[in-house]
Amino acid sequence: MLLQVQNLQLSLKRAGKFISILDDVSFQVQKGETLGIVGESGCGKSMTALSIMRLLPDKAKLAGEVKVGSEVISKLSKKKLEKIRGNQISMIFQDPLTSLNPLHTVGKQIEEALILHTNLTKKERKDRVVELLKEVGLPRAEEMVKEYPHQLSGGMRQRIMIAIAMACRPQLLICDEPTTALDVTVQAQILELMNKLKQENDMGIIMITHDLGVVAEVCNRVMVMYAGKVVEEAEVNELFQRPRHPYTIGLLEAIPRVGERKRTLGSIPGTVPSPQNLPIGCRFADRCKDAMEICRQAQPKTLQLTDDHRVACWLYDERREDLKDDITRNQESKTTLSH
Amino acid sequence: MTLLEIKNLKQHFPISKGFLSEKKYVKAVDGVSFTLNKGETLGIVGESGCGKSSLGRSILRLAEPTSGEIKFKGQDILKFNRKQMKNIRKDMQIVFQDPYASLNPRSTIRSILEAPLKIHGIGNREERMKLIESLVEKIGIRKDQLDNYPHEFSGGQRQRIGIARALTLNPDLIIADEPVSALDVSVQSQVLNLFVELQKEFNLSYIFISHDLSVVQHISDRVAVMYLGKIVELAHVDQLYQNPLHPYTKSLLSALPIPDPSQKRERIILEGDLPSPINPPTGCAFHTRCPVATSDCRTETPALREKQFGHWAACIYV
Ligand SMILES: Nc1ncnc2c1ncn2[C@@H]1O[C@H](COP(=O)(O)OP(=O)(O)OP(=O)(O)O)[C@@H](O)[C@H]1O
Ligand SMILES: Nc1ncnc2c1ncn2[C@@H]1O[C@H](COP(=O)(O)OP(=O)(O)OP(=O)(O)O)[C@@H](O)[C@H]1O
Ligand SMILES: [Mg+2]
Ligand SMILES: [Mg+2]
Repeated sequence: MLLQVQNLQLSLKRAGKFISILDDVSFQVQKGETLGIVGESGCGKSMTALSIMRLLPDKAKLAGEVKVGSEVISKLSKKKLEKIRGNQISMIFQDPLTSLNPLHTVGKQIEEALILHTNLTKKERKDRVVELLKEVGLPRAEEMVKEYPHQLSGGMRQRIMIAIAMACRPQLLICDEPTTALDVTVQAQILELMNKLKQENDMGIIMITHDLGVVAEVCNRVMVMYAGKVVEEAEVNELFQRPRHPYTIGLLEAIPRVGERKRTLGSIPGTVPSPQNLPIGCRFADRCKDAMEICRQAQPKTLQLTDDHRVACWLYDERREDLKDDITRNQESKTTLSH
Repeated sequence: MTLLEIKNLKQHFPISKGFLSEKKYVKAVDGVSFTLNKGETLGIVGESGCGKSSLGRSILRLAEPTSGEIKFKGQDILKFNRKQMKNIRKDMQIVFQDPYASLNPRSTIRSILEAPLKIHGIGNREERMKLIESLVEKIGIRKDQLDNYPHEFSGGQRQRIGIARALTLNPDLIIADEPVSALDVSVQSQVLNLFVELQKEFNLSYIFISHDLSVVQHISDRVAVMYLGKIVELAHVDQLYQNPLHPYTKSLLSALPIPDPSQKRERIILEGDLPSPINPPTGCAFHTRCPVATSDCRTETPALREKQFGHWAACIYV
């Protein structure tokens, strides 16, 4: 196993109060595999990635375990973690313009990654930079080394970001919406490039996206998040053919598809609850057409339906009848206590 | 019945590059022609910077076109004076991409929706309120929310309010510029459904601008594909998506990720990016990226011609 994430809990400070952003997020990534993370804006996709890298805002409370290979990196000091970042794990951010330094040449920025993480000599680094630019399919690599980010198109800048991320041949590449700002034709180029690099280097990839089309094209497994929790995870064909969580089903019915012109699209009523105001039960219950009594009272447990499919939903929990009484009793005792 | 007829419309923006050098132009819209029928949706697709928004804005004269002809309900509106223009704008409205930026944060929804009615001196206060209340009901916002401010609504709700505002004056034409691009899919579908319902109810015509090929396919009757300021293909939506003629349309469609992992397709991966609209390539502007271009494509400028019934394409090899 390349990456193992166990029970991530993240709280961030907002207006003087800690609020829960991620709750009990667990998943794994294998070598040579692409895991997709999908979900509505604000559900915690980027925060999940940033928690792995520990690139969080100040005053963040993070708990849980992150393991790369056999090394527990969530316990490492900042300094040791720095070595792992960029070396074993690299990340590509959504906006290629803001993540490149406008004042430095493209060549210098790639070289910096090499200085930080390798022992190559100056001459070796120069060669490697050109090699990397060629690897990510940039034309005129020798000249581009001397150019500045603003002289390049969005697609080219994203290729530079990939070149930087690939500089030290990471085992795991985390991509946060790497193609959202790009046109479809350029997106197709970038996705193909990432697939090629993955195969050549036997890398694992985490692909964060809100585009279910991109998921279907490049991912092996998909994890669906909702309001800071993992609600479903499955092998990609399984997820598209047999979605189980009402949220996943709703998402899949909402996308316009080829050959169904002006059909009334499925939609999910309401909006995502804010992290300050999370319900005690299932976080999706308010928008769920299948919601039952118990859904509003207690959070569903994650159920392993098959080897490659897990879901956190009361609909699939056979214990829900037995639990009902327990929960009501529990709540009664809680309210008595607080009085 | 034809509602709108555009002929050879051009929108060239001057850009100054030092005052001694010759004047250069961004040919954002460079000779666009099409017609739009009553009750019809024309989708406009193309990559970022190809001129979709410029086209939409010049049709409404929000930016004065460089040349061409815009006939709306049979009248050449480019010849209209300000007063005539103000009057005709009631019938042509625009909905923008950004539901956050396009609503005044300091106004209640009620006054945002009342403003266009007031400007055009329609009804008394009571009549206006009645109209607004019936309108918000249609877009799924409660009457008791009318006195709330934009920030109290979600992105999808704000976009629906933007649509309601466009509808207050009972227009014939709505130009929607990327109206769902900022929304999550679950909310996007609500807004798309609303567009379809309102069209049926009011026999509206839409020019629906989007870079999202699946959204455009869903909503459109006919679709125009733009590349560097020109329409390169125009056809009924089914024809365009099932039998694209232009190599650009073909590659665009093949690049679209399909949300079905069991469908694997051949990809036509284009090389390079969109060329600069300041110095567009000679001949066919697409020849620098076209997988089937020949030396003739470098010199010969292809005209948009009807290649099959109702199916127009601009390529010398089609
Ligand atoms: N610096 C911050 N301080 C406090 N809260 C934050 C901060 N950054 C993000 N959040 C909150 O954390 C939650 C998760 O945000 P995150 O950026 O992970 O969402 P996301 O799934 O990546 O969304 P998107 O699709 O819009 O990128 C949101 O509620 C967001 O408002
Ligand atoms: N006011 C202006 N002055 C100068 N150039 C402009 C102006 N407005 C647009 N342009 C240029 O005209 C071209 C077309 O822009 P436009 O905004 O119409 O493209 P678009 O297809 O809507 O792109 P997007 O998908 O990114 O919205 C671009 O090269 C743009 O930079
Ligand atoms: Mg994000
Ligand atoms: Mg635009």
